[in-house]
Amino acid sequence: MKIRTLEYFVREVFLSLKRNNWMSVASVGTVAVSLFIFGMFLMLVLNMNKMAESLESQVQINVYLEEGTTSSEIRSLEAELNDMQGVEKVTFVSKDEAMERFKERLGDQSSILDALDDTNPLPDGFEVMITQPELVETAAKNIEQHKHVESAKYGQDVMEHLFDITRLIRFFGLVLMLFLAGATLFIISNTIRLTVFARRKEIAIMKYVGATDWFIRWPFMMEGMVLGLFGGILANIILRFGYSALVSEIYSALAFFPLIPEQPFLNYISIVVVFGGMAIGAMGSTISLKRFLEV
Amino acid sequence: MIHMKDIMKTYENGAVALDHVNVDINKGEFVFLVGSSGAGKSTFMKLLFREVVPDSGILTVNGRDVIRMAKSDVPYLRRGLGVIFQDYRLLPDKTVYENIAFAMQVIEAPRRMIQRSVNSVLDIVGLRDKYRCFPNQLSGGEQQRVAIARAIVNNPAIVIADEPTGNLDPETSWGIMDIFQRINSSGTTIVMATHDKTIVDAMQRRVIAIENGRIVRDESHGGYGYED
Ligand SMILES: Nc1ncnc2c1ncn2[C@@H]1O[C@H](COP(=O)(O)OP(=O)(O)OP(=O)(O)O)[C@@H](O)[C@H]1O
Ligand SMILES: [Mg+2]
Repeated sequence: MKIRTLEYFVREVFLSLKRNNWMSVASVGTVAVSLFIFGMFLMLVLNMNKMAESLESQVQINVYLEEGTTSSEIRSLEAELNDMQGVEKVTFVSKDEAMERFKERLGDQSSILDALDDTNPLPDGFEVMITQPELVETAAKNIEQHKHVESAKYGQDVMEHLFDITRLIRFFGLVLMLFLAGATLFIISNTIRLTVFARRKEIAIMKYVGATDWFIRWPFMMEGMVLGLFGGILANIILRFGYSALVSEIYSALAFFPLIPEQPFLNYISIVVVFGGMAIGAMGSTISLKRFLEV
Repeated sequence: MIHMKDIMKTYENGAVALDHVNVDINKGEFVFLVGSSGAGKSTFMKLLFREVVPDSGILTVNGRDVIRMAKSDVPYLRRGLGVIFQDYRLLPDKTVYENIAFAMQVIEAPRRMIQRSVNSVLDIVGLRDKYRCFPNQLSGGEQQRVAIARAIVNNPAIVIADEPTGNLDPETSWGIMDIFQRINSSGTTIVMATHDKTIVDAMQRRVIAIENGRIVRDESHGGYGYED
């Protein structure tokens, strides 16, 4: 493309944006809202995937003992567990230790434990390390068969639930996103239609004097892409600030919660959102040109 | 230059606009297309720049097969033609200069060439001192001269004018014809549809008369031939 052609296109695009001012604003706004929600779901799903992954790779089983198990019973159980196949290490965690750790994990918020009035509802237990992740499930089942064992929990348990939730979020996200994409395409293609209409005389003359199809089409494509780009940039700014704020909030409150670190995660999100905006803008223009521009 | 053989054109609504039309027009000719309203003159013109595609026949313009050409070649056909309408079709928010330059910009002509060519056609149509005016500041005749300037600025081999004097008084019309004569004398072929008896009779150029889509007369030095 020649420089002066590009100049011409850019001038045309900005004239149109100005001429359609509030339709342009509405378009940018719709794109921004859609991409913001898209970005939110994307971040949510990716974070949940990461969480599931980290749980999946855990080889630890938390064994909780029945109330009133004696220390000799505990010792013999420890020995039995140590003899089990695939068990690497067994560590006893007394109810007092369990409470200490819980307090630590709560950090600033440990004051909520004051409500317990110094009683300790946590049971004695073991941390059992398994040699391989694949063996965790059967090992947990076996351990639960043992006498005095109340329950044996492991990450994959939680993970199953997490998968259900993620699936639900994905589904709703997809439905919502399809709806928003439809709305966005609708408003962008209508904005472009206004431009086509405003410039119909010019288009007719361009055709008579022999302008090529792509020369006639490009300014409209560019207008759609610029609308999408602005919307994408707007959504991106909000998403970046939002996520950074969330991460620092969560780190100070719930340090153990494994969010994906901001860098380079946010850069990937930015790329997806901004290019997504341009793509949806180009699509909106294409729809409009197909329907309203006979060239 | 223009070769039509057995051209047929029927519109979707069943109106037969052209019926077995055979015409050859050579380089440098000045051709009047006459005939009553609805005879098919505009349809004839539209075939030349492929606004309308015939149903059958052979049509070549400037050596291009207009019927079988790819859609992407149509712009290049049109670059060799200058089209002028009765209603001028100027862009109201562009000046005289910009309206003419527009025709070069959109085919990506070099900027230096645009300035030179626009000034030269402004001289030909006698509007050099009005180049900064907007169309609504010009008379009808002046607006048509801008349209002519725009049509010839890319040096077309053929100028196609559909009733260019249809909205103008006799004196102004002669001013327009004067410009066409000058363009023609520099070698440009001119095809002009008109209802203007005085002009056709006075100029004694080639006249093609169409009635109901058929060519009923083709004289190399003729008159209007109707009594209206
Ligand atoms: N787009 C169209 N769709 C359907 N019929 C059309 C169309 N354009 C022209 N016609 C018909 O084709 C015939 C020829 O029309 P055309 O416009 O070529 O006549 P003309 O000689 O230019 O008339 P005028 O002197 O009034 O301009 C007419 O019967 C007209 O009604
Ligand atoms: Mg006509």
